[in-house]
Amino acid sequence: MTTSEAKEKLLLYRGPIDEAVPQFQAALAHARRDPELADWLRDHVRCYDAVRAKLRGIEPPIGLPEKIMRGRPVPFPRDWSRVLQLAAAVLISASVTALLLKWSERRHHSVTSAREILVTGEVLDMTCYIAYHLSGPEHAECAKVCIRNGAPAGLKAGNGKVYLLTGKPGESLNAQLADLAAKIVTIKGTETTRDGFEQLQIEEIRTL
Amino acid sequence: MSADPKFEQLVQLYYRDLYRFGFSLAGNEADACDLTQETFYIWARKGHQLRDPAKVKAWLFTTLHRQFLQTRRHETRFKDEPIDEASPELPAIAADCVNRIDARTLPSFLGQLDETYRAPLVLYYLEDLSYNEIAETLAVPLGTVQSRIARAKIKLLQLLNETNPPK
Repeated sequence: MTTSEAKEKLLLYRGPIDEAVPQFQAALAHARRDPELADWLRDHVRCYDAVRAKLRGIEPPIGLPEKIMRGRPVPFPRDWSRVLQLAAAVLISASVTALLLKWSERRHHSVTSAREILVTGEVLDMTCYIAYHLSGPEHAECAKVCIRNGAPAGLKAGNGKVYLLTGKPGESLNAQLADLAAKIVTIKGTETTRDGFEQLQIEEIRTL
Repeated sequence: MSADPKFEQLVQLYYRDLYRFGFSLAGNEADACDLTQETFYIWARKGHQLRDPAKVKAWLFTTLHRQFLQTRRHETRFKDEPIDEASPELPAIAADCVNRIDARTLPSFLGQLDETYRAPLVLYYLEDLSYNEIAETLAVPLGTVQSRIARAKIKLLQLLNETNPPK
């Protein structure tokens, strides 16, 4: 290897960091034997160190890391298993809600099975009671007239529950109930509920 | 301040090196800051795709270099001087080489090099990367990297030799 060839090889040599790189070994050995090449190599490495030092002396402006961290985009990696889990949860929740709504609707709109009951309470004129909340002995005369004239009659039980009183289909009991307006009676009949509305189909009336 | 300690740690660890690399490529502070920031933002979005944690540094340098090349497609800030592909003669290394290197003129010398040569040369000087790592960072073959560094270094030495040493 000539000195010129060794210089070409050592052009990339950076000092200790490249000490073990095989491509420099022969040229380095040559430099150990050739004082002129050794001088050149020393200057070369000094020059490398000087350029490196200048480059490494470049300092970023103050506050750059804070600026980087302030402006950092919030990552939103799409975890598809999580997305699917969420979708399934939403679907199940929606299905359960729909079923509950349907069930609730059916419950409120269904007719409970009719049953025979015995209820004690005041006979009401439903028109005045619902519209004006009128009942009791002071309203007895009005209620009597109203029921006799065909206004629907009701029964307000001791627990506050109000029933619409009816006879059997096609049968009107208004004439009989008019005389009992505002009085406390016990009625045996069939209770039926639809849409939350209570009806008591009279079988027997017992006066106190 | 970031709520992500890993990200913060990564910034603290590499922002200086990336900034220096960016500054050496772009030649000015503003672009170097932009390149450094953008590199970390790309990391925040895509860094989780990197499988080998040992390659974080190389990944960051590669990303910054790509960003630089992208911005360079749209603008010409330096007049790049192509390096003669013919085997150049080795310039003498001035004895006062160290004195001729100035912190202000060095970036302008680097700016005179074609960007194809500038990036490997800066990595060669700046980072303690092996030639294989430089080649990997720039995604070019090892032989090409060494050839580019050699040519760029000769050009830089020529520019230094032409510079009047400070009196």
